[in-house]
Amino acid sequence: MATSHPSSELLEQLQTLSGQNVSDCYQCGCCTSGCPIGEAMDPPPSKAIRLLQLGKAQELLDSEGIWMCASCLVCGTRCPRAVDYARIAEACRALILRSKQSRVDPDTVTVPELEEIPQQAFIAAFRKSSV
Amino acid sequence: MTKYAYYPGCTLYTKARNLDLCARKAAEKVGFELTEMPSWNCCGAIYNATSDDLAAQVGPVRNLAKASQLGEKLVTLCAACYNVLKRVQDRLDQPGNEIESERLKTFVDEKFERSVKVLHYLEVLKNDIGWDRVKEKVTKPLAKLKVASYYGCLMVRPKEVLGFDDPENPQVMDDLMRVLGAEPTKFDFKAECCGGYLVVNRREVAKAASQKILDNARAWGAEAIVTTCPLCQYNLDKLRVLTDGSLPVFYFTQLLGVAVGLNLDELGLEHSAGDPAGFLRSKGLL
Amino acid sequence: MEQPAQPQKKQRPRVGVFVCHCGINIAGVVKIPELMERVGVMPGVAVTKDYKYCCSDPGQQMIRDSIKNDRLDRVVVACCSPTLHETTFRNASAEAGLNPYQCEIANIREQCSWVTEDKATDKATEIVRTTKAKVENDFPLEAITVPINKRALVVGAGIAGIQAALDIANAGHEVVLVDKEPSIGGHMAQLSETFPTLDCSQCILTPRTVEAGRHPKIKLMTYSEIESVSGYVGNFKVKVRQKARYVDFKTCTGCGVCLEKCAGRTDARFERGLVRGKAIYRLLPQAVPNRPVIDAKACVYLTKGKCGICAKVCPTGAIRYDDTDKFVEEEVGAIVLATGYELFDAAGLASYGVGLVPDVVDGLAFERLLSASGPTSGEVKRPSDGKVPKKIVFVQCAGSRDSTAGMPYCSKICCMYTAKQAILYKHRVHDGEATICYIDVRTPGKGFEEFYKRATDDGIQYLRGKVSKIFRQGDKVVVWTSDTLAGRKVELEADMVVLATAVVASPDGVALARKLKTQIDSHGFMTEAHPKLRPVETLTAGFFLAGCGQGPKDIPETVAQASAAAAKVLAMFGNTRLTHSPTTAEVEEDICVGCGYCERTCAYEAVKVDPATKKAVVNAALCEGCGACAVACPSGAMTHKNATKKAIFQMTDLF
Repeated sequence: MATSHPSSELLEQLQTLSGQNVSDCYQCGCCTSGCPIGEAMDPPPSKAIRLLQLGKAQELLDSEGIWMCASCLVCGTRCPRAVDYARIAEACRALILRSKQSRVDPDTVTVPELEEIPQQAFIAAFRKSSV
Repeated sequence: MTKYAYYPGCTLYTKARNLDLCARKAAEKVGFELTEMPSWNCCGAIYNATSDDLAAQVGPVRNLAKASQLGEKLVTLCAACYNVLKRVQDRLDQPGNEIESERLKTFVDEKFERSVKVLHYLEVLKNDIGWDRVKEKVTKPLAKLKVASYYGCLMVRPKEVLGFDDPENPQVMDDLMRVLGAEPTKFDFKAECCGGYLVVNRREVAKAASQKILDNARAWGAEAIVTTCPLCQYNLDKLRVLTDGSLPVFYFTQLLGVAVGLNLDELGLEHSAGDPAGFLRSKGLL
Repeated sequence: MEQPAQPQKKQRPRVGVFVCHCGINIAGVVKIPELMERVGVMPGVAVTKDYKYCCSDPGQQMIRDSIKNDRLDRVVVACCSPTLHETTFRNASAEAGLNPYQCEIANIREQCSWVTEDKATDKATEIVRTTKAKVENDFPLEAITVPINKRALVVGAGIAGIQAALDIANAGHEVVLVDKEPSIGGHMAQLSETFPTLDCSQCILTPRTVEAGRHPKIKLMTYSEIESVSGYVGNFKVKVRQKARYVDFKTCTGCGVCLEKCAGRTDARFERGLVRGKAIYRLLPQAVPNRPVIDAKACVYLTKGKCGICAKVCPTGAIRYDDTDKFVEEEVGAIVLATGYELFDAAGLASYGVGLVPDVVDGLAFERLLSASGPTSGEVKRPSDGKVPKKIVFVQCAGSRDSTAGMPYCSKICCMYTAKQAILYKHRVHDGEATICYIDVRTPGKGFEEFYKRATDDGIQYLRGKVSKIFRQGDKVVVWTSDTLAGRKVELEADMVVLATAVVASPDGVALARKLKTQIDSHGFMTEAHPKLRPVETLTAGFFLAGCGQGPKDIPETVAQASAAAAKVLAMFGNTRLTHSPTTAEVEEDICVGCGYCERTCAYEAVKVDPATKKAVVNAALCEGCGACAVACPSGAMTHKNATKKAIFQMTDLF
């Protein structure tokens, strides 16, 4: 899975973890178009991949957007080049979580929420965003 | 009465127990039995998509190993469990993945007897029971109730692994609704995400995503919406995006239960927001 | 005194080996001096020479001189692939008095220096030795000549077929022009105006269609399809099926009364599903020929025995319910395939709402809405309620450039026709808003970039982002797209959406290519003989290509390609006879038992067992010299000229 772009070690790691090749992306924006999170995700999927293509992986890792992904897989399903942004976002989160940085503190969940919300949501949310 | 090994998952076992009970009773009426597999553990609730995280796969692997000792098939009622278990089984079976697969299997004590066919309850109805037999068991047709079938994203994607139905325009649940005497409406948001687990710390996003789904269902004239995942059920139902209380949200087994003649107390409607029982009564279905 | 003829020992032929450096292509990998040394000591090699570029004039001169001066009987040129220069070196040999079929190429480039590294010199030596063994067994051969029937067949009468037919006919040769539709003009007849001039499509097309319709040298066969083609270049036999029209061609005057009264209904494909059509129909008012046909499946009389109104009202009694398909045989020397394109069925783009949302249409359907002879007489009205849309979203790349949809290529014409459609829409609906969702805007032709500027000058908004989803919300159509230049998702609300769907090869064209065994690529487009240098020929002799059947292209390119194909046909017709390679199969009748394995093996139908003599007979003009029959023959009766068993054994050095 060679990449011909000026890639940092970070990009190599992300590509290996995600199994995706960012140079396949031709920036059509279809992923952003179909993302159910919409404007709330910053950067949106196509822009996120653009950051990686331009060697700005750290900027993406520092962003809010990668934590907003619901893993619904619409982006990868509709991409004309079969690039799966959901897996790239997962790889970004994994790198951060593996360096022992939690994004969300489970203690911030209130008792009423704990009682009401299906626990599968908690499990999924915290597996994705905390250590 | 065919027995199936059944994996309830955390939510259906506890907070959404009502849905589990209703589903089992409906199954009995239709002609199959769900036998809960012994000492199952959490499936992980969401599939981990990184290429190297083996630890995250162990939970589901253990369930699959246990299930493999019970038989060939494992039935789930929750789309999320279905998604995780089926994808993990596929990962184990991928040609070229033998080394990782063997390693994963050594992490659990239970031995893998075979590759497990993970099924969703809907697949059992369609493929094993067959629509004709389901139709025979319908004692109270659903009075042409206009229903939007909401599949959610985890049931249908990724298509290559799940092979459940067409991810853009799935039909299985629509077919079931037709068999039960309801009228499935056209619906553009069948498999668009409801926001899922983002409801935990990004409630607004989940609310906005769910709103769009309900708006579209209403635009097509739906009177009710059916779901196949307790989390989708929660997002669409409890977030109360529609304060006027219209568009009740049912779990598909609840409507199945109504059609095959379960009593009100067997349907598990008590946890829903609004007044789903009242709605059903107004349609002459209770 | 005459000496009695001594039984002479057969002398070994003198072989000259010429090694080409090909710059550094060969010399950079193969050690030439070492190769020359090894070749020089091979038995039978009389002389060995090398040169930097043998294909050059001095290089060829060197070979010619050596043939004469060194009294060579055979030549081996160790160089590039024979597909490039076999003809060059055989011609050079012929000029020096050597039979061209006693000159062989040893490919030490594509099959050696370009693919091998450390063993290249060894491999080159072996290749030369093998070729030397072959050429020593070569007999002098004369090329076969065949007569040419200077008549052409053009399949498909869209603008490509029409242009090619006119060019060939104007040069004085007869052309049979066949089209599956009831009248000619193809998709160009469906268009409203054409880019970049905004010429009315009918206005520029009809002069051509009329000319084709009445040209004394063009035999027009519409509502017809090719059943089969047999024969070979210069001598094809074509069977054409003329489908039953149910209308007598001669007595019908084209008055159109029957069209008004017909009760049967069918999908009007010409109108792209916007309206239902009648069972008796004409594609357009300016149809050439101006004769309607009856769609038998939709006709009430033909299916149920009721109605029959058209027969009653026809003033000349031209309706023929008892009509049947007829078969016609035509003999031609060249065939031009101009089978055209179709648009990808947008129902295959599941997230675009096709089928669910009536106000989502494709490019050709919108073209019909714009067309003055279309279902709305040129007024832009949306299909669901006939209202004039105030906001239209045009979606580019609907299926194109999409490997997951199976069409990874660019369809070439959509950026331009979408700009055109948006411009025309704005002309008709002055307060209308047009947004074009694109990934790139491709404007490669003359005047095209200026046309794109005209679109933006007209206030058409270009939004860069590929559309993900289209759905209905109440009265509006919602489009989920993005603005990648601003970096965010965009939701648009429109009254109507036009999809620029991918251009695909016409399915009937693909089926025909399979029937004729001409090559098509993985997308169904016909394959040209060479992508750069032979764009209008195929690898099947006698078959030429023109138009979108070979790949998506616009009208100017189509016309150019059609004229080019015609030129190739005329070049062929400019000869008295055609030459054909003589390295064909040959039957030794004494050994042949008529088992027929050769006949079953032959892909060119060039060998048949004569039922009277029970011997295989080779039609040398059809035979392409592939050698398959020689391999299949169990008794060894079938041989291959200049590739005999003896030659092959010596080449492989096995025995």
